[in-house]
Amino acid sequence: MADSQPQTITAEDGKTVHGVVGEYMDVDSLLSACERVRDAGYTKADAFTPFPVHGIDKALGIKPTVLPWIALVCGLTGTSIALLMQIGMNGDWFSSWIKNFSYEYIISGKPYVSLPAFIPVTFELTILLASFGTFFGMWALNGLPKFSNPMFTSPRFDRATDDTFFLFLPANDEKFDESGAKVLLGELGAEHVEPVVDDDTSLTIPKPLLVGLAATIALSFIPALVVARMRVTKSTSPRFHIFPDMDFSPAKDAQQTTTLFADGRAMRPLVPGTVVRGYPGIEGLDVDYEFQTGVDMEALAAIDASRVERLVALVDEGETEAEEVDGVGDGDVASEAPSDSDEAAPVDEAEAAPPEDNTPWLTSNPLLLDEATLRRGQEQFHIYCAVCHGMNGRGNGLVNQRAQKILASTWTPPSNMHDPTLHQDKYADGKLFSTISNGIRRMPGYAAQIKARDRWAIVGYVRALQASQSASINDIPEEQRDSIAEEQEAVKKAIADAEAEAAKKAAESE
Amino acid sequence: MGHHQAVERKPANDPAFALPQAVSKLTLPLLAGGLVVLLVGVIIGCMAVDTRFGMSAYLTALIYCTTLSIGSLFFVLVQHLTRAGWSVVVRRIAELMMVMILPLAVLYLPILVAAYQGTLYAWSIEGWAEGHGVPAAIWAEKERYLSPGWFTLRSLIYLGIWSGLAMWYYRNSQRQDETGEITLTERMQARSGPAIILFAFCTSFAAFDWVMSLAPMWFSTMFGVYLFTGSILSAHCVLALASFLLQRAGAMRDEVTVEHYHDLGKLIFGFICFWGYIAFSQYMLIWYGNIPEETHWFYVRSSGVWSTLGVVLMVFHWGVPFAGTMSRHVRRKPWLVATWATYILIIHFVDLYWVIMPEAGFGAGAAAGLAASILCLVGMLAMMVGGLFRLASGVRIMAVRDPRLGESLAFENI
Repeated sequence: MADSQPQTITAEDGKTVHGVVGEYMDVDSLLSACERVRDAGYTKADAFTPFPVHGIDKALGIKPTVLPWIALVCGLTGTSIALLMQIGMNGDWFSSWIKNFSYEYIISGKPYVSLPAFIPVTFELTILLASFGTFFGMWALNGLPKFSNPMFTSPRFDRATDDTFFLFLPANDEKFDESGAKVLLGELGAEHVEPVVDDDTSLTIPKPLLVGLAATIALSFIPALVVARMRVTKSTSPRFHIFPDMDFSPAKDAQQTTTLFADGRAMRPLVPGTVVRGYPGIEGLDVDYEFQTGVDMEALAAIDASRVERLVALVDEGETEAEEVDGVGDGDVASEAPSDSDEAAPVDEAEAAPPEDNTPWLTSNPLLLDEATLRRGQEQFHIYCAVCHGMNGRGNGLVNQRAQKILASTWTPPSNMHDPTLHQDKYADGKLFSTISNGIRRMPGYAAQIKARDRWAIVGYVRALQASQSASINDIPEEQRDSIAEEQEAVKKAIADAEAEAAKKAAESE
Repeated sequence: MGHHQAVERKPANDPAFALPQAVSKLTLPLLAGGLVVLLVGVIIGCMAVDTRFGMSAYLTALIYCTTLSIGSLFFVLVQHLTRAGWSVVVRRIAELMMVMILPLAVLYLPILVAAYQGTLYAWSIEGWAEGHGVPAAIWAEKERYLSPGWFTLRSLIYLGIWSGLAMWYYRNSQRQDETGEITLTERMQARSGPAIILFAFCTSFAAFDWVMSLAPMWFSTMFGVYLFTGSILSAHCVLALASFLLQRAGAMRDEVTVEHYHDLGKLIFGFICFWGYIAFSQYMLIWYGNIPEETHWFYVRSSGVWSTLGVVLMVFHWGVPFAGTMSRHVRRKPWLVATWATYILIIHFVDLYWVIMPEAGFGAGAAAGLAASILCLVGMLAMMVGGLFRLASGVRIMAVRDPRLGESLAFENI
């Protein structure tokens, strides 16, 4: 090596010289050349080897990469995004100022913000962003993607993947000077030194590539066109179902049959021994029979012990008491039942008052009648009662209006809740509860649909409704009377204004 | 010219490959002192609380030593399975550690006796099932598996398989020290696959039997993996710490380089994450499923002092060492790797304590209970280390004629 003068090639005119590359035949001469180049002050020198060489970064004076820091920052970003996203979307504390953003889903009975459930997503996003940071960070640090490199212009460079080691001194290095670099590489034992010049191959895209690209783009329209055509044409063949089990749900609705069970019922009876929430009659559980029936059991036992037994039995079986009340011939219902079914005559509840009802009904609501209970009662009343009885309880709900309009012959108008016979002194709370539960005349019982607690809440609300229409100013706490009077004044004034307006319009139109 | 100079190979009988005199002198004091301390610990545990507590403390210490030993066995098997070259300089330490499963097997005798006497495992206590409302039909099924006789037989199978594997690999490695036969390495590689399968089977079931059955109605299929993660993690820590201490004592100074510490550090870091991953996965699945028969194990461990300990594990078994061993600069400093290894070995005991002791049913047993547990650990550990020195005194502490020793000596991280 030392005796033979290394060959050098100069750049042709008009071509930019990107640097000078020297070839070495083994690792050791490359490494020592690298060290000498580094010591000579080159900071951007680069080496190309057929395999990874230990210690080459040190020999070239390459500083440790910042990539780990990029990965760390990206990973922590992923952690933060994942946590913020999940807590933000599911957390209730967040919703006070970003209400529409939080879903507030209770999943699996866990709190809105329950960290264990968030960890897998947090973990995944941390890994994902750290990987992206590492991968794309590596690209960015290496100046990738780079479709062509001037190094490739020399066919000799192909051997960089085979058996030759290359040391490259780039022209953008402060220390670079073409002839000096050539001499340096030659002195350092390079077998061959040449300048790296511009790639002079054509920049135009080869025609076959363009044709292939155009063909691919054209072909890619076909699926979209086929779909578009299908949307506007008709076909006689059955529709193709990609997800038949989603198009034809195997789930059953109430009252349907199924082949899945021997008894053919899609609605499954309770498994023996299970306890349903709000289901009153479970053997061995402490059942509040008065709460479930509205009857003072002790008092009833004194009058009619057998009826107590029947009531208890019915509650225990979880049945509604409708049959019981009907069957036993409980005063009012028994006397009215035949007249209902035979007669179409609309009988108002007040008129059809029972001759005698000796049932010892509970006279007070067992619930604590606070605002929450009344609101619950109002809500339930609006859902179940108001369609017939009307929002104001006057018995003129939408169903009644419709029945009157079509002159329905079998229609029994609903009671007016404000009739004095239905006030608490004449119609005990327990009796009202029983009516809601078991029905009366044409009204069905609602025990199956409304929980006992909610039925009591409705009773409470009906009492409030009644009070609202028959109260005097004396029933209102003194400190609120003034504001009520003010409101009344305002309402009266508004009505007067509206009337005056209407009169004016009427006068104008004439 | 070489830049990273590979360490010169020393002759096989170089004193650098023998256990330093100062270390081997400790054999007898460690064995005798350890036995005394262990006995004192068990007695304090039995007297201060009750027999079941004392036995639980004994079991914690025993499981701790077992995890170190079988973790080392796994390390050796994996090195052969992957034909690893880098690890040859530290592999002998693991080989010596894995042979410790033989003396440890003897220490399982009290556990087996306890299984017959009903002084440790709830399932062996007369009338436990009735007292805890376990339906008779279910208990009858459980008893078919958790009976003292069958339990003993299974324990013997696990210990037998581990001991057999450990002895076979140890003997072959020792023989290679003399003959340098390459076929021995090939044979050890060929058998490492089936050996790992046997190992995994034993580890999982041993964890079920010895530890999980402390709460007989609880089950977690990944419990074996959970104990294994702690085992393999602490085995790597033992290698790092032992190499560091031996080098301080003057042995194999040149052979174990910063590169090997770097690799051990990386593996320790990885297994810290593995432990966190498995521990969390087990917790999350049970937490999410929220089925009483699964959650009661964690319920016990999330009340009182155990709840604090659970948080301590999260932070100090995963969070702190995860951040601490993440940097390459830490892993390339042997003394830092050794420090973190010591730290992990301590927190590994806390992990096992948290897993085993709540089943003794007495909280942490106050100061006396804690003292008993620590004395048991120190005693058992001293005995194991004493046994290790006894074994290592007669042999080389490095596989000097392993065909891949040169590769290991020249090993360099990129």
